[in-house]
Amino acid sequence: MEEFGDAISSEEETVTAQKVLKTLKDIWLNERNCPELLQHQTDVVDCMLDQIHQMEDNLCKLKKNDFRVVIHRQELDRIRYIIADYLRVRINKIEQYAIHILEQEGKRSPEDAVLSPAELKFAREFVANMESHFTLVALRHMPSNFQHFDKDKLTIAPNISSHVFLRAKRNITGVVIEGDSENRDEEVDLDENSQHIMQYKPIAEYVKSGAVQLI
Amino acid sequence: MDPSVVEFLAEDQMVNIVPSFSCDRVFLICGEVGPFRAGLPVKVPIWLALNLRQRQKCRVLPPDWMNVEQLLQAKEEESQSRFFNKMPSEHYMVEGRLLLGIAAEDIPQADEIRTILKDIWDIRMSKLRSSIDAFIKTGGTHAKLDHLTDMEINSIRPLLPHALDEMFSLQRVVRTHIFLYISNIFLSRNNSSALLLHYFIIST
Repeated sequence: MEEFGDAISSEEETVTAQKVLKTLKDIWLNERNCPELLQHQTDVVDCMLDQIHQMEDNLCKLKKNDFRVVIHRQELDRIRYIIADYLRVRINKIEQYAIHILEQEGKRSPEDAVLSPAELKFAREFVANMESHFTLVALRHMPSNFQHFDKDKLTIAPNISSHVFLRAKRNITGVVIEGDSENRDEEVDLDENSQHIMQYKPIAEYVKSGAVQLI
Repeated sequence: MDPSVVEFLAEDQMVNIVPSFSCDRVFLICGEVGPFRAGLPVKVPIWLALNLRQRQKCRVLPPDWMNVEQLLQAKEEESQSRFFNKMPSEHYMVEGRLLLGIAAEDIPQADEIRTILKDIWDIRMSKLRSSIDAFIKTGGTHAKLDHLTDMEINSIRPLLPHALDEMFSLQRVVRTHIFLYISNIFLSRNNSSALLLHYFIIST
């Protein structure tokens, strides 16, 4: 019963929790289908984790055999999966493009940092460990003129002209697609709720501003 | 994406059930469900419906579109039209599979529905394959995919974007080679105009 009263008094909060979950789902799908690493969304993730912890505390107060416990647990598991998968996708990208991402990150101001502080630490350590591993295992046995660890040669940059599926969330006019072999550029309008396949590059800005959802 | 991820997304769709128990409203993070009154229909997400059904706590009501007449009509229209029709549900195939898989006894003519759904899927997939073939042959760079459901888009994900990526990079190679060829001709004739041309290419 306690849970019941709790939720009534904070009805506004339940509405926002629902919205946060929706946002989380959107950023998860964007990150999954986007070739490059998108800006970190630590706020959303933390907010959702708070909700989960709150809910878990509430669940402890309920009786073990209460039928609601099972439902809540299942929902929490579903949300946890989204969060875990979102972070996992990001980590995968960071590992793959570590050097490139760090290089880019150095040019950005702290406000539009793509990596969260923890991810930044991870990326730095990852590159440092890779370097010391290479040096230890192979490079130091090489002739002295080959011993240098050349970061530039290891850099992998995401292919931002790769093709993605997307759904427009609002009307967008005049997206310019780089031309074909005759070098003609093509202009397309995206209607609200229409679905497309095209290069990521021309719509990258719209993904970041939330006007386009990758699917 | 793995098909199971698409299935996961589809499980958030709502479906009506008739519970066999009573319970107050439940405040889930994704929104509230209930109150549950035994015998009265109530709307819940599919994942919850499946959970309750597996524990014999409810009966699933088929969604409005899940009946033989409507689906036969949709199938007829789909086979008549050259384009993709709007499906009654964003996740018709997954919803059909999940609900018919677990609650087949609750849905009248479940076997027929299953067959028709599969037919519609097959018709749409063959249409999709032929239109992709035509699209690639014309060397397009952009395509509209209206009315395709997530599962259908996902089924072409392993192939279509990569094919387009490859075509794009091949075209880029061709383009630079043509430019190099032209600039070489100029180079043999006149050094300064070649440099100018080169500069022009790079700046555009």
